[in-house]
Amino acid sequence: MKKRLLQAYKQAPWRVQLQWIGLFLLAVVVVATVTGLYLNINAKAAAAGRNVQWLESDIEDITAEISDLTTKLAKAQSTDKMMARAEELGFHLLDPETAVYIEVPGFNPDAEVVLAPPRSKVIIDTPIVQDSYKSSLWDWFVKNIWQVSDGAEGELR
Amino acid sequence: MKPPFYTRYLALMVICAILGAGIVIQMIRINYSNSAQELIAKSENYQGVNETIYPPRGTIYDRTGHVLATNQIAYEVGIDLKFVTDPESIAFSAASLLDLNYADVFAQASTPQSGEDENRYFVLASYVDEEKIAELQALKENYADRRAEQGTSTPSLSGLVWTSMEQRAYPEGKLAANVLGFYNYFSRESAQGVYGVEETYNRLLTGQPENVFMSNDPYLVEALPEIDTGASLILTIDREIQAMVEEELADAIDWSGAEGGTIIVYDPETGEIPAMASTPTFDPNQYWTYDETFPNPTPYNKAIGAAYEPGSVFKVITMAAALDSGAVEPTTTYEDTYGVFWVENTWPIYNWDGGAWGEQDMTGCMQHSLNVCLAHIAVDLLGEEDFYKYVQAFGFGRSTGIDLAGEANFPLRLPDNNQWVVVDLATNSFGQGIAVTPIQMVTAVGAIANDGQMLVPHVVRSVIDGNQQYAVSPQVMGNPISAETAKTLTSMLTVALEEEASQALVEGYSLAGKTGTAEIPTELGYTSTQTNTSFVGWGPSDDPQFVVYIWLEKPSISKWGSEVAAPVFRNVVEKLVVLMKIPPDSVRMEISAN
Repeated sequence: MKKRLLQAYKQAPWRVQLQWIGLFLLAVVVVATVTGLYLNINAKAAAAGRNVQWLESDIEDITAEISDLTTKLAKAQSTDKMMARAEELGFHLLDPETAVYIEVPGFNPDAEVVLAPPRSKVIIDTPIVQDSYKSSLWDWFVKNIWQVSDGAEGELR
Repeated sequence: MKPPFYTRYLALMVICAILGAGIVIQMIRINYSNSAQELIAKSENYQGVNETIYPPRGTIYDRTGHVLATNQIAYEVGIDLKFVTDPESIAFSAASLLDLNYADVFAQASTPQSGEDENRYFVLASYVDEEKIAELQALKENYADRRAEQGTSTPSLSGLVWTSMEQRAYPEGKLAANVLGFYNYFSRESAQGVYGVEETYNRLLTGQPENVFMSNDPYLVEALPEIDTGASLILTIDREIQAMVEEELADAIDWSGAEGGTIIVYDPETGEIPAMASTPTFDPNQYWTYDETFPNPTPYNKAIGAAYEPGSVFKVITMAAALDSGAVEPTTTYEDTYGVFWVENTWPIYNWDGGAWGEQDMTGCMQHSLNVCLAHIAVDLLGEEDFYKYVQAFGFGRSTGIDLAGEANFPLRLPDNNQWVVVDLATNSFGQGIAVTPIQMVTAVGAIANDGQMLVPHVVRSVIDGNQQYAVSPQVMGNPISAETAKTLTSMLTVALEEEASQALVEGYSLAGKTGTAEIPTELGYTSTQTNTSFVGWGPSDDPQFVVYIWLEKPSISKWGSEVAAPVFRNVVEKLVVLMKIPPDSVRMEISAN
């Protein structure tokens, strides 16, 4: 009797086979998805790495070029060249006897040249990489989901 | 009961197991073999490179923000052997455009490309300028066109490569070269600033080089760390004043036949140096010619590095000491009856002209530059203790602390020294037997022009570090004399200059000053007929804004400071007042009256 009952509830063999095949395919899909994601992220990381290298190289080149252009500009504006250009344009050095002095309120002939902001006591440290790029999925979840639900509860109360 | 084909399955399984085990064993063996270790070691070379990143060297500006020293791109030209196809063309182009030896380049470019030599790289030339590289590029393209037309593989500059590198540049050329120093950049690892600002502030300008591992694996690439870049400097030097002073010095040497000279412009209220010129000078863009311009033992900057007997300009210090100690007053008189002063009845001191000038007050003593009067003041009125106390208070015998490398300092011979004799006190009073540098003299005189307060001379006005500008505060060296003494002496020397109708006078401006003519000691004593001529002056007398010091060595046109150095002072001040925007006295009085 017992034996007959068991047989009554047993799955048909083709159904068991289908279940196994289904499970296997599910595993394959999961593995393929994870592998695909992994490859995708890795490819992006590699591309980002290469991009960083190119950008660093660009920064170096641009910095050198700025220096080079600054030098060229400085050479074009050197004392000798400016003097020659002034003379070509008909200017000459001022003679102290013919100089006319006019009082200009607030003018300071010896004012210090300002090429950078003056020293300040408070230095605002601006992070280059935003926090959102450094937080993990869990951090993001806690911050955005957990805290939102906390807030919602609070409001309800 | 065994299933069908059991034996066959078993045999197949055993074979597979043996094959699998064999593969695993072989994998382990390969991994731990000597060849594998060599391969692993080789592969490490491809993982990345350790590089030292040198931050760009800081820029040096003049006080108005014009660039005096910065960096430009230059190129290193080399041969990358694995790409070379036509050694002859490479050797020809390097010889014709880079002035290199054809045979040497050809030998390098023809090195057999096998084994370890395959990846060899030869440096042909460093710091090649942009124009030469443009010519090489044009030639390379021209060869490529010819190959395309003729369908041949030659001529080709393949394998001739160039990479950019940083080179120190001084856009103003020789201007302020003695102040700036230079940067010997040929060997980057050992490159450093030499002399002047480049040496003194070398660490600040250099920044902090950092060793970084540059991975070839893109997964391990990281952004380069923030490098501590070199700080930039804003100098007290005003390029227009500097250019004017250098031109005047060159003209003065040419006109007077002097062997060399120095001119310093100093701001007595702050210690700043708007201009400092000296000879010899050179173009720091070609610093490798240093030895030719400065044969040993020529100081790089005589304004700070050469000690000499200043002569009568030192009388200003003696008179300041005498007035401040109360030994004399402006009205105190000295009777110069015979034109000679005897030191302990042994050593005679004569006037510059050997004559006697009769009764003179202190202004007269300075106006006529009477050695006998000053010797009398030092020996009979001041005494050795007070005299040397003041001389030391004025900073003589020690460095001024100017922020330029290469400052010389000649120690004072003081009474406690065995070699000191009492005649030294007399001769020192008029600037003989005592060695000083021009910067010491100008700093000491600065105290008289600045109400008795002496400031450390400096050439850096502010520092730009970390994108912030830091101003350099003036530093007080001391107060050797009172403000009252300083004003009195300035008035006396203003009157002395006017009454003497000196060639140093500038119309419209009241100036105080003193000439100096110093005999030059030789191994046999003061036997040379050549002199060092000097002039120190400051103005405007009621509110001094500059001190100008002139020193011309061994002029041939005349041996007197009043005839050689004084006119140069006038020429400099005539232009200086315009460049510093200092109106004539009458205009200033009118403005202050309003």
